[in-house]
Amino acid sequence: MNRQTLALALAGSLVSAFATTAYAAPLPAEKMVGMEKCYGIALKGQNDCAAGAGTTCAGTSTMDYQANAWKAVPAGTCTSMEVNGHMGMLKPM
Amino acid sequence: MDQSAFAAALLDPSLPLPAGVTCARGEPDATRFSVYRNNVVASLSRALGERFPVVRRLVGDEFFNGMARAFLTVSLPRSPLIFAYGDTFPDFVAGFAPAAALPYLADTARLEANWTRAYHAADATPLPVERLLAIAPERLAGIRLLLHPAVALARSDFAIGTIWQAHQAEVVGSVIVAASESVLVTRPTFDVRVHVVPPADGVFADSVLRGETLGEAAATAFARHPDFDFGHALLGLASLGAFADSPLQGDPA
Amino acid sequence: MNAITPSTSLLPARAGLGLKPEHVGEILDTEPDVGFFEVHAENYMGDGGAPHRALGEIVARYPLSLHGVGLSIGAERPLDTAHLARLRALIDRYRPRSFSEHLAWSTHESGFLNDLLPLPYTESTLRRVADNVDQVQQAVGRQMLLENPSTYILFEDSTIHEIDFLERVAARTGCGLLLDVNNVMVSAVNHRADPFAYIDRFPVERVGEIHLAGYDETMDGAGDRLLIDAHGSPVSDDVSALYRHTIDRAGPLPTLIEWDNDVPAFPVLLAEAARAEAVLDSAKSWRDARLARRA
Repeated sequence: MNRQTLALALAGSLVSAFATTAYAAPLPAEKMVGMEKCYGIALKGQNDCAAGAGTTCAGTSTMDYQANAWKAVPAGTCTSMEVNGHMGMLKPM
Repeated sequence: MDQSAFAAALLDPSLPLPAGVTCARGEPDATRFSVYRNNVVASLSRALGERFPVVRRLVGDEFFNGMARAFLTVSLPRSPLIFAYGDTFPDFVAGFAPAAALPYLADTARLEANWTRAYHAADATPLPVERLLAIAPERLAGIRLLLHPAVALARSDFAIGTIWQAHQAEVVGSVIVAASESVLVTRPTFDVRVHVVPPADGVFADSVLRGETLGEAAATAFARHPDFDFGHALLGLASLGAFADSPLQGDPA
Repeated sequence: MNAITPSTSLLPARAGLGLKPEHVGEILDTEPDVGFFEVHAENYMGDGGAPHRALGEIVARYPLSLHGVGLSIGAERPLDTAHLARLRALIDRYRPRSFSEHLAWSTHESGFLNDLLPLPYTESTLRRVADNVDQVQQAVGRQMLLENPSTYILFEDSTIHEIDFLERVAARTGCGLLLDVNNVMVSAVNHRADPFAYIDRFPVERVGEIHLAGYDETMDGAGDRLLIDAHGSPVSDDVSALYRHTIDRAGPLPTLIEWDNDVPAFPVLLAEAARAEAVLDSAKSWRDARLARRA
């Protein structure tokens, strides 16, 4: 596809996309939600729960700093994750 | 006191207490010094756990804390902005041998890192979608759209979006992870949004986010996915808030 | 007429609370009568998004205290000028009534250690801290308050009492002091000192704000009591008593309840603030009665 053909193909594709979505007329930005419903799969998160850690000037009395010699295996929900049909793939390291 | 020696002893419990440390009894007390060791390790592990809650749930607290300890001893925060700590954690997870049995773990971490970056990114008005129609057809291929400060894409050979979604609920059901997913994170206003986009659009979005022109990105997507629908993909990405409002810059070359 | 009101703070002499993201919605909905809110500066150094929107809403309704936890004023390495610039921008944007930081260090060549680490009290550390406080105040364009630390160890080469150290830094730089009464209790118990004597010696005329918090308790290697400044529980009875003693001596001062770990529902924090407010109210009535007798 040469440059000219590509340009026309892209422009035509864009016009066509506008024509076939839920709205044809221009909409303000806040109305874009109409398009979102038919594009991609919206995943819902728990609002701000993963906002990232905040700083604090507090200390802690939970002593857990010493576990340098550590032989843990993953023991969370990874056992529910199927890789190629096999449940989990856990073995001690 | 030498703060370098103090810092080294904080991070390596096998080192002796720094010289000059004492207590009211007039003798060094390892338990007292361990409070500082503990504060450093526990606070940074907790910070990582708060930024990567899905990774933490996937592997469990004990494994996660061990992985966090291993990470923080080689990668302390570079600044006091703790919400930004862990930008390099996904790469560390990818190379962390004890987690090798969970090949989706690092990419899930990338998605979570993107989420927090989007949450704290600069505010910007998304590009109104109809502005795309105002671009002269002959200029479209050479355009580089201004990316929204919050937009990020994580592409994986695994179903990281589905995994992430499953872990937003209290009870996590079974997930088939062996399915490639491209997950777009945007923040058009204040709420972070997470979308699994179609595979061809993921290739296109990846190219656009790397700074390619629309023409270059479309060509890349066509080459991988002959059924790629440029118009639908561009309109879709714009509607999710991937681009920021700006005077559109052409690339006539 | 009121010599005990410090010039070092524009915060009201009331009880304030640390602002937690999970409480912002409830606070904006109910607009509770809280004297002021305090935030940790570093949590608002992102470029945008929900944290700034929330803080803007809070500042429109309440006095703000900005509390830094990452400046590392006691570090042997130079202050981070990029961080100072971020602080300046935050102060210019939100115009807090008070800005405070810690007598501690937390940065090192290897990175940010995310804890408030202790300093030996020597002439050389005093010069370094005073120079750094000068630099901070120049950079942010206003006075800062310097907070007394909670510590778990001592240094053999310390030659200056902590109170004298703080007072000399304040005298040399013109900074004010933040008196953390829980830190006084934690350090006094940990180092076998008398917390009430500490308060009696403290230069309260330089104090612009008080902090209160809960501590955890454990034992050191010899079985001695070891208090941890944990900020995860109500203010303990002994710290409450020490606080009343402080206010009796200093008069009413802006008082923050710090609760950073295992943050409870907002009404629990409000109840903690009400306890401190009652102490401040009784000090205010006592002061007013005394002034009335004089008139």
